[in-house]
Amino acid sequence: MQAPITPANEAQRLQALQALKLLDTAAEPRFDRLTRLVQQCLDCPIVLISLIDEQRQWFKSRQGLEACETPRDISFCGHAILTDQLFEISDARLDPSFADNPLVTAAPFIRFYAGAPLTINQQRIGTLCLIAPEPRQLTPQQRQNLRDFADAVEQEIIDRLQEQAEQELKASRDQYQALVNNIPGITYRCQADPNWTMLYISGSIDPLSGYPASDFIQNKLRSYASVIYPPDRERLEQAVAQAIAQRHSWTLQYRVQHRDGSLRWVEERGQAEYDDTGQVRYLDGFILDINAEKQLKQQLLNLTAHLPGVVYQYQQWPDGRAAFPYASAALKRIYGVTPEQVKADATPVFAAIHEEDLAGLASSIEHSRQQLLEWRHEYRVKDLNGKVAWMAGNATPEAMPDGSVLWHGYIQDITASKQSFLALQQANQQLQLARERLDTASELALIGFWQASLKTGELWWSPAIFQIFGFDEANTTPSVALFKSTLHPDDRQKVALSEQQALISGIHDVSHRIIRPDGSIRWVHERARIVTDADNQERIMVGSVQDITERVQLQQLKDEFIATVSHELRTPLTVIKGALSLVNSGQLGVLPAASQKLLVAAQQNSERLAHLINDLLDMEKLVAGKMPFLRQPLQVQAQLAQAVHELEPFAAQYQVQLEVTPVESGLQLWADSLRLQQTLANLLSNAIKFSKPNSRVQLRAKPLAEHIRIEVEDNGLGIPEAFQARIFERFAQADTEQRRQKGGTGLGLAICKALIEQMGGEIGFQSAAGQGTLFYFTLPAVNADK
Amino acid sequence: MRILHVEDDEDIRAVTEIALVQLSGFQLCSCDSGAMALSLAQAFQPDLMLLDVMMPQMDGLQTLAALRRLPGLAAVPAVFMTARLQDAEKQQYLNAGAIAVLEKPFDPLTLGQQLQQYLSRPAADS
Repeated sequence: MQAPITPANEAQRLQALQALKLLDTAAEPRFDRLTRLVQQCLDCPIVLISLIDEQRQWFKSRQGLEACETPRDISFCGHAILTDQLFEISDARLDPSFADNPLVTAAPFIRFYAGAPLTINQQRIGTLCLIAPEPRQLTPQQRQNLRDFADAVEQEIIDRLQEQAEQELKASRDQYQALVNNIPGITYRCQADPNWTMLYISGSIDPLSGYPASDFIQNKLRSYASVIYPPDRERLEQAVAQAIAQRHSWTLQYRVQHRDGSLRWVEERGQAEYDDTGQVRYLDGFILDINAEKQLKQQLLNLTAHLPGVVYQYQQWPDGRAAFPYASAALKRIYGVTPEQVKADATPVFAAIHEEDLAGLASSIEHSRQQLLEWRHEYRVKDLNGKVAWMAGNATPEAMPDGSVLWHGYIQDITASKQSFLALQQANQQLQLARERLDTASELALIGFWQASLKTGELWWSPAIFQIFGFDEANTTPSVALFKSTLHPDDRQKVALSEQQALISGIHDVSHRIIRPDGSIRWVHERARIVTDADNQERIMVGSVQDITERVQLQQLKDEFIATVSHELRTPLTVIKGALSLVNSGQLGVLPAASQKLLVAAQQNSERLAHLINDLLDMEKLVAGKMPFLRQPLQVQAQLAQAVHELEPFAAQYQVQLEVTPVESGLQLWADSLRLQQTLANLLSNAIKFSKPNSRVQLRAKPLAEHIRIEVEDNGLGIPEAFQARIFERFAQADTEQRRQKGGTGLGLAICKALIEQMGGEIGFQSAAGQGTLFYFTLPAVNADK
Repeated sequence: MRILHVEDDEDIRAVTEIALVQLSGFQLCSCDSGAMALSLAQAFQPDLMLLDVMMPQMDGLQTLAALRRLPGLAAVPAVFMTARLQDAEKQQYLNAGAIAVLEKPFDPLTLGQQLQQYLSRPAADS
């Protein structure tokens, strides 16, 4: 078998074939009609329109054959396209080139073949061929018929190609039309005459004017000039005439009157076309309906007119030029220039800016321009009178195609808020200063401040606390647990108790020891109160801690000193008082009267000295809160009787009678018996001392609602009015003469007051000079029900 | 009645001696220190021991403890006398085995009576 050779111009041939766009397309009646005719006319079972591409023959139309393609190397048509002549094999079995061809030896068992080449654009792209399974020979007439049919097929192919091109053209024309119709503007070409005589105007003039484009062409029904809103016409004509004369293009805005009477804003950009002699041939232009834009602008204008600041667009070009393409009217208020004045050149605006802020402003704009980041800046502006106002601006930059940057922004006069901000800043600085002073003071006094949230347990410490507790501030996080860990084991309960009490009373007040990380022990005094945070209604505890170690040490030293002093004073006093007592007793012998008188005076004063020492120590204990009180229920009657019994000898000396008014039986009060007796002794001895001889001192008790009132009444001299206010003060005595006469330390009543108050009562007196004195005090009653 | 008195202050010893010997007719062994008391106590065989608290070397508490260890002195009643009477201290002295604590300055005219009273009342009551 011999495979068909490849034609010399195969590349061009394949290109021509591809250009037909026939391969692998669906069957078409125009070709099938012809092959059916051939089948009938030439009485042949198989008729094909075969197209030969690189690897195969493909059948655009086929009669009597199922396969739609076969390989090119076993094809008969591959041979047929090699010449312009009809290629005819009468009996393939007898032809050495085809005898062993599989199409011959097997189905469709080709014996007869005749193929007429199809030539399009000088290229043989395929054949119209006849195939029969028995040997045959065409007559010359039949050969001519086949050739004619092939020509008809060629014609169909060419017609088809043309139809296809026309369709494509139409499609692209439709597409173009659609595009033109969708362009928002109107394009036109007109004569340079007062009527704007249109040579062409696009259809979109219809929605704008309410008239079809055809009305305007050659002023068929109306001129374009007739739809221009009359008040705008002259301005428009002048501007166009000027632009034409200067050979510039023009951009103008004017109104078109619609058929329905409404006005539409348009923007027209146009230019003239000139002939060789410089005469205007016609005008070309583009009209854009900007009505919606104009309305929006008006809305924006209305809107911005009500804004306190300026809405603006600021544009800056690479060559340094800058302008405000848009700015709302408020620009005038802020910079003293109108938006029109800076529309093309921003310079007047910068002239208004405070010279000290100019550099900062420029660099902030430059930064925004380079990074295309939002611009935010505060700066000052000076008006013509030199009055300074603070501005805050912010704007969003946008890179424009021409390399410029356009900012859309807002500038606001913040003078008022800036001033209050500056005032606030100043106040803050002062506050800061005050805080620093407080910090310094608290550091010096070793007072720390803390704050704890009862809800979260969070704890904050001021720097002094770290110092007091011996912690390194940088590496310590305060916490309640950390604080607890510093507590001296013996004081833990005391602190916990005070904290519990604080939850009820709101006040925490405790002195306790802490152990520092280095093992040293310090005394601290804590005071705190529970407050409700105004911000979040959370209960927090705010407090202070003071290092009182030195104070405590001093206190201990003082205690020690007092104890020592009292010992050192009492020892010689014991000797003096004891010796005088022995001598004055007369049991050691009788002394001369003068000596006796002196020694009695010495003894009385030694006794006063002993009292004074005791009172001083009592007072000291009371003031320091160290006087122990053993409070228990006491029978009032028994206590009064005991006091009277103790004072009876003293009363006898003054020839004064002590009387106890009988007390309701079972009446009890709540007190320390030692301190109650001390108080009673004090009041009774005072009453005795200031009574006249042969008078009475009365002792009474009265139950009140929750207290017992005890009264000591004398008929003595009374308390001078001038002295009444000071009577409970320490070392208060009416006069020195009295002290000399009556003895006493001047501490007695001060001690009584402290004792009674410590036991939950009150003390007072009623007195009028010359009419005697009534001292009273109250103490809590023991409720009989309990 | 035989009283062992321990007191470092010589003047107080003198006043006490007049009060107890001359006015009350007691027999007195007066010692200026704990050490002296220890050396004399056994031979003296006191009925009551009266001790000052603040003394150099051995204070009253130490002296009492040492005296109580001597044969025959373990049960002799003791009374402390002090110029430094804080409430807590008083309790401390009673806990140390004293039957009473006397405060300085004391009244020499009634001292003998007071000691006699302490001896005649039950030991538990102080």
